[in-house]
Amino acid sequence: MDELERIREEIDLDRRRFVKKVLGGVIGGSLLLVLPAGAVKVAQQISGLAAGTDPVDPDRKFAFVIDITGCIGCGYCCVADKNEFQVPDGYYRTWVERYVIDDQDNVHVDAPRGGLDGYATARLDIPHPVRDTFFVPKLCNMCEKPSCVQVCPVGATFRTADGFVLIDRQRCLGCSYCVQACPYSVRFIGPESRVAEKCTWCYHRLAQGLRPACVEACPVQARKFGDLNDRESEVYRLLHEPNVISVLKPEMGNEPSLHYLGLRREVV
Amino acid sequence: MQPDFKSSTHLHVIRLALTIAGVLVAGILLRQALLPAGYGTSGRYRPGAELDEANRTVRNLANDACLACHPLIRKLHLAGTHATVSCEICHGPGVDHVQDGKLAGAMPTVAGDVIGPVCLRCHGQVARLRPLDSIRMVSASDHLTGHRVRADNDCDQCHHVHAPMKWVREAREMVGLAAEPEGGRPWTN
Ligand code: HEC
Ligand code: HEC
Ligand code: HEC
Ligand code: HEC
Repeated sequence: MDELERIREEIDLDRRRFVKKVLGGVIGGSLLLVLPAGAVKVAQQISGLAAGTDPVDPDRKFAFVIDITGCIGCGYCCVADKNEFQVPDGYYRTWVERYVIDDQDNVHVDAPRGGLDGYATARLDIPHPVRDTFFVPKLCNMCEKPSCVQVCPVGATFRTADGFVLIDRQRCLGCSYCVQACPYSVRFIGPESRVAEKCTWCYHRLAQGLRPACVEACPVQARKFGDLNDRESEVYRLLHEPNVISVLKPEMGNEPSLHYLGLRREVV
Repeated sequence: MQPDFKSSTHLHVIRLALTIAGVLVAGILLRQALLPAGYGTSGRYRPGAELDEANRTVRNLANDACLACHPLIRKLHLAGTHATVSCEICHGPGVDHVQDGKLAGAMPTVAGDVIGPVCLRCHGQVARLRPLDSIRMVSASDHLTGHRVRADNDCDQCHHVHAPMKWVREAREMVGLAAEPEGGRPWTN
């Protein structure tokens, strides 16, 4: 028996049954299938956080860990991010850089379209044989001492009690001081909104108990997110076990909450 | 013979004090006028600014949400090696498909001759490109010719997209190869 056909039939059957159940006699021919409200139960991915709870909870200390040794450079995190925030073309809230090191120890860095199209082909413009390649995803570092907050003249960029650096889009003037102050270049002035924008670690998803969109999209768990006050969490374990963990530009003194596992000294 | 600088009325001191007081009062009033109501109650920001951010629309769902409505895919997907792969990578953001528990539109699928580039973004083997421990890689042309098919065959002809090793495993079992999985790994879907 043709397995493919059988599965297709099963799926079709199931769908018809499902649709029938759901419709239950509601308007035929309507383009919209009306399902009972709350029909979709999304399992909580971050315990204790769910729709309706206070998003600011000072008992939590969220951290983001990126595993450089795991990232395959597929760029689907960037796609998920673009979809989640409808980021305009040419602007990036998160992006993936490719580091190529040749046998003369020259470092070549590129990020065509911020990694949105993935890295399906090798770089052909490197004159020497390639010794090593790795990918470095970048996003907001959620600093404990954020320079963007310090320079904002109107208090539109702020740090919440649970450590998120966010932007008040109503108050932001678009003066772009913060864009220049950020050592990690994660900010931009939205071409349409005319206010500062940047990665929020998907604060709105957390408020629903969902993981950040890029973490959800990563097929190899190179992006990890969790609560450091939860001793069961993977990020707690990673940061408290003998792992090679570092942050970007520690000399800037911003104390990022974004950590890199297996970061290499070539990375800037 | 020094001139007497002492003014008996201290007028200049009073003028200065008044100016400073005036500037202070104006400053305080201006600050009051410019600061949003309740500023400082929860931090150095407009109260509610964090709620505005928290109320953004969630556009990508999670696999659990998709699987709640697609029980058959659930069976296939969770049993397969693609269990960790997000549905929305291949199908696009869930918000175009379901909104407030209602079906909002069709979900696009990539299949046939457009699926290759999607698979190869994760599985494509390019010299020293991806970390070897993270993912199994194939070079598209070698992989296809290695299985004695034309190089323009589509990946989903042999691999079920939701459980890529299912058909391979079943085919092997049919011809009695099930006993010895390659590299000692048990057969999966
Ligand atoms: C690797 C890419 C990929 C991933 C990941 C993926 N799908 Fe699919 N899906 C496809 C393709 C391709 C088709 C079209 C299959 C076909 O025509 O046989 C499809 C078809 C479907 C269909 C329609 C079935 C039919 O026969 O019409 C549903 C429902 C579906 N997928 C749900 C899901 C869900 C839920 C997930 C996540 C658990 C998921 N898919 C993950 C590629 C993918
Ligand atoms: C509220 C229930 C519900 C949820 C949640 C849901 N789907 Fe569906 N989906 C349906 C129904 C009903 C159909 C059949 C529509 C039809 O046949 O016209 C469908 C059809 C599909 C199809 C076939 C193409 C089409 O639109 O007809 C794909 C692919 C699909 N869904 C993927 C997904 C993915 C991926 C997710 C998660 C982001 C998801 N679905 C979440 C109810 C749901
Ligand atoms: C988002 C990245 C991603 C995409 C896109 C993707 N895969 Fe996978 N695939 C994975 C991951 C992760 C695994 C599990 C880890 C592993 O064993 O490689 C996997 C496993 C597999 C395996 C099993 C390997 C084994 O022996 O265990 C096959 C075969 C496979 N994928 C084929 C495909 C095909 C065909 C497509 C296109 C329809 C595809 N994949 C699309 C990420 C992806
Ligand atoms: C003619 C059938 C066929 C086609 C077409 C096909 N594959 Fe495979 N693939 C297989 C078989 C069989 C295996 C099992 C391992 C083996 O024997 O090489 C496999 C294994 C794999 C693996 C796991 C490799 C490993 O090291 O375990 C990946 C990844 C994969 N295929 C991806 C793809 C991609 C991507 C495409 C599309 C370019 C594709 N396959 C097209 C038959 C096929």
